[in-house]
Amino acid sequence: MDLLSGVPWVLVVSNIDLTTNVPIVSPSTFLGLSIKDFIVNINNDYRYLKIGYYVSLHAETLGNPVIPASGNMIDANRTPVFLLRSSKAGIPTMPYIVTGSVKQIISEVGFPVVIFAVNPFIYDGFKIATNRSSLYRAMKSLSMNYKFAVCAIPLRGEMFSFKSIFGKCELEGDFEEVSEMVYKVFKIPICKLHVQRVDGKVHLCSLQPVKREELTPSDLRLVSEEIFLMSRHGDPVIV
Amino acid sequence: MTQLLSKIACFVERYNFTDPREENALQNFRFTAEKLGHEFSFMFKEKISDIPVYDAVFIRATTDPLYTAYIVSKTAWELGLRVVDDPESIKICGNKVHLYTLFRKYGVPHIPTIFLTKDELHHKRLVEIFKEFGKPVVLKAPYTSFSRYVEKVACETSFREIAKRFFRKSDVLVVQKFMPTAFDWRVGVLNGEVLYVCKYMIPKGRWKHGVKLRGKPTFIWGRTVAMKRENAPAKLKEVALKACSIIGNGLYGVDIKEFGGEYVVVEVNDNPSIYAGYEDLRNKDVYEKIIKFLVN
Repeated sequence: MDLLSGVPWVLVVSNIDLTTNVPIVSPSTFLGLSIKDFIVNINNDYRYLKIGYYVSLHAETLGNPVIPASGNMIDANRTPVFLLRSSKAGIPTMPYIVTGSVKQIISEVGFPVVIFAVNPFIYDGFKIATNRSSLYRAMKSLSMNYKFAVCAIPLRGEMFSFKSIFGKCELEGDFEEVSEMVYKVFKIPICKLHVQRVDGKVHLCSLQPVKREELTPSDLRLVSEEIFLMSRHGDPVIV
Repeated sequence: MTQLLSKIACFVERYNFTDPREENALQNFRFTAEKLGHEFSFMFKEKISDIPVYDAVFIRATTDPLYTAYIVSKTAWELGLRVVDDPESIKICGNKVHLYTLFRKYGVPHIPTIFLTKDELHHKRLVEIFKEFGKPVVLKAPYTSFSRYVEKVACETSFREIAKRFFRKSDVLVVQKFMPTAFDWRVGVLNGEVLYVCKYMIPKGRWKHGVKLRGKPTFIWGRTVAMKRENAPAKLKEVALKACSIIGNGLYGVDIKEFGGEYVVVEVNDNPSIYAGYEDLRNKDVYEKIIKFLVN
């Protein structure tokens, strides 16, 4: 679908209060509708099984163009898949291993190491282990007592976490570039990115949802502005 | 011309080896692959980074978009490997809301179903549901597998109690009409062809194939009665194939109820159980067909 020439009908489905002239419906209302529109799904949490996921799924079933796509939501929130797809798209990423073994992390990654959860229950934050005992503690917690694997990333620089809204962020330079590239690939309107700056270069580590209370009035203004622009010009990335 | 050897990784977790019937089936897969000249290795979660060295990945650990198996599947898929179960099948079959939405869209006969959001968990809506489906109804979490997270409810109080439990993980649930039968058909499908057919009997006094005993961690399962796929009713196979055609061309286990002479799909499962002496009893070529599909 060519959306470069503009989108005549944009329907925003949002769980967040926004100030925009574009029509907005709540997620639960949208799930009962059979509207044929371009759907912009605004949510602070795009995790699998959450209402934001079902909104995009419903739009896709109706045959509507929608951002973000339900498949992208799953992939973006699964750190190893997120890193693999980002890397394939040319975004600088940190190397990683997926494992349930402390020994493997020590031998293949070493210290210090950043551990991200890869299980159905823990979805925010990460732990940094600088020695064997802190790694055991991190593993026990993030693997849920070794039931699930974790994603281990070497810590070679400094970790940064920031909000990305339609690919825009408050940090500049490489951070902004990575944020834009992630948006181009996954089209997650609101998310938090974890990156590592190594020798001045920014490398992607993970994407996680933003808590509702973390969204400031200026973030919401930015979301409203982006929706307004999208309704006038279309989303230039979707072709 | 000699066929080149393929390296197949079979992604498993420790629990896949706790039941001897499943362990024997896994060994049958290995034996068959090796007999056909391929290399077949069991891959545990510690060795996921080895995926690129294989030609194909066969997943036997439980699949779900939130489990490690999805990461294995998607990684293999992104690297261009043949993978069973593929990520799209996991995505659809792993979420019953997605599955029934597609059934509805493409006209697959299925159990009467409605979806329930958190906002709809109120008296008026529940009265409507009981009026539409009668009592009891079946409440299903979208991530159900192995008969877990599926409950029969006959009153508003238990409906609310169970719905609240399921809503902890998913914001949308499935509500279905209760259709009791003595058995569910299980049709194994691979690449758009019927692989095996059996009946999953419902244990006496129960309403689903697998039942957890109150206060005990163990499940009791009904008998599995296998039959030659050629002998299964043609209409049954037709319904099963139609249900799978909207998902993909992988390996599926289709649960079907025969009710009033009609076949209605209960659900399509990716990663279907294959136990030695059960699903394979009357169709011994199950292993060979799957291995050949993986390496072609």
